[in-house]
Amino acid sequence: MSFTSPVFLGFILFFLLVYYLLPRRLQWVVLLAASCVFYISGGIRMIAYLLITTLSTYLAGRLLGWLNEKGAGLSQEDKKLLSGRLRTQKRLTVFFAAFLNFGMLYVLKYWDFTAHALGRLIPGSNLPVLNLAIPLGISFYIFQSIGYVVDVYRDKYQPEKNPFKFALFVSFFPQIIQGPISRFDQLAGQLTALREPNFDSIKYGIQLTMWGYFKKLVIAGRAGVLVDHVFNGGTKYDGSVIAFAVLFYCIQLYCDFSGGIDISRGIAGMFGIDMTINFRRPIFAVSLTDYWRRWHISLGTWMKDYVFYPLALSKPFGRLGKFTRKHIGGTVGKIFPTSLATFIIYFIIGIWHGANFRYIAFGFWNGIIITSSLILTGFYSGVRKRLGISDQSRLLRVFRILRTAFLVFIGRYITRAPRLLTALSMLGATFLNFHPERLFDGTLLTLGLDKGAIITVLAGIVAVIYVELLQERGIEIRKSLEKRSFLVQWLAILVPLTAIILLGILNQEYISAEFIYAQF
Amino acid sequence: MDELLRILSETCPGIDFENEKALIDDGLLDSFDIITIVSEIMDVFSAEISVEDLVPENFNSVQAIWALIEKRRN
Repeated sequence: MSFTSPVFLGFILFFLLVYYLLPRRLQWVVLLAASCVFYISGGIRMIAYLLITTLSTYLAGRLLGWLNEKGAGLSQEDKKLLSGRLRTQKRLTVFFAAFLNFGMLYVLKYWDFTAHALGRLIPGSNLPVLNLAIPLGISFYIFQSIGYVVDVYRDKYQPEKNPFKFALFVSFFPQIIQGPISRFDQLAGQLTALREPNFDSIKYGIQLTMWGYFKKLVIAGRAGVLVDHVFNGGTKYDGSVIAFAVLFYCIQLYCDFSGGIDISRGIAGMFGIDMTINFRRPIFAVSLTDYWRRWHISLGTWMKDYVFYPLALSKPFGRLGKFTRKHIGGTVGKIFPTSLATFIIYFIIGIWHGANFRYIAFGFWNGIIITSSLILTGFYSGVRKRLGISDQSRLLRVFRILRTAFLVFIGRYITRAPRLLTALSMLGATFLNFHPERLFDGTLLTLGLDKGAIITVLAGIVAVIYVELLQERGIEIRKSLEKRSFLVQWLAILVPLTAIILLGILNQEYISAEFIYAQF
Repeated sequence: MDELLRILSETCPGIDFENEKALIDDGLLDSFDIITIVSEIMDVFSAEISVEDLVPENFNSVQAIWALIEKRRN
């Protein structure tokens, strides 16, 4: 059941009514039932993987909770004797849960890639290709569940005792397709709380959902048509047309993913649940690091807490730090191990996107830019001082935003092209075969979109940027709307709704039911 | 404490560490700064800081960082 299907709207309406009409203590059961119906509608067989993850991480959580209690109850003397053994048992528990789940993810998502790559490297290796279908949202729910296991290992909170309440945390339907990757202590309590219908949270939820549908149906769907057209044609296009298509891809990806997340958060909001934010206006990022802190935030913080910190503080990295400080010295010697850990994180994020050399290259691209900018920080601030440019300068901020946008733009060639080599030749064409007059001689109208559709995409993204600019300045749009006249409030609902109906729903040719991030 | 202030100012110049009370919550220190500071602290003060200690409460102010060092000192 896609978020964009009419059935889904009926589904939401039905479960909202049941949720608020049934006795409050049954509300979480309604959410679990809705989540089951939603997930099963995508194929009954896929639920097996979800069950494996739920059961294994639930049991690991319970076992870790028991070991934590055992550790806390020990006398000082016993602690000295047994704490090492307890720690090993706890680590083994986390290891098995992670091994089982990431192993499953590996087989489903990366096995065929390994078989192909090995086949090319070692002719005759003949590993079988499995062609397994990837279950809906598997990497999102595995990341979320393993985060929970590690938190219980760290004794951050008590494990959930009720397996069904835990199953709801793993499978909560608004987030299961493409996140956000929630934290147990932030989400679980909300899922099982008793709620009265709250008009404001339902209204805010509807507004956020509508904004999401506007971005997805009106902007992303259209932009995608032109993007597909150009990328399917490969390098036959002029560099300027390719660059225009990549710009449209940036628009499509942002509106598709952030629109999808707005729909998820909006729907959760209607049930009174405040899900973690996943975007903080990445378009205003002043560096690539800042960009990744604003884009897909829940994945970034997951990586930070569960991979980056443990890696950067591990013994081998500590030893490496001592070695580089002693033998290399200076800034490079000081930040080398942390830069290496950063590099590894971006490499993992690259691979997380999919089993393909172009995603590995994408990870490298980000890793190289970010680690080199860390090393060059001192040099840059020296240049700024010599030129007399203040760090607070508005012009410098605009320059940084444009520079970041350019770096992101280049990275998008790599992720969208069907193959890495195609991406490189399209990049080459952009820089070596760029004829701006092609943008005005009617070529753009031969790429699957008519003039009206192109203008809709551009006007749509201008509206999105304007709204985000207001938010960047600290204005809360939905709250500030309430202070406006009744007419303005209604227009704020009716204009986007009319746009969604006229330009989205009634223009079926531009509707893509799938979300790009659902495949990751 | 002076030694800690020196480490902090060298790692992130331009921040008023003596008075700031929301270093993490206000986004003045990022994860990269934290790791650099923690590596220095582990070296200089022989404190064993683990991943579990890396929570905002322990890094929001110089006093909080100092309290963490005292707790984890060998």
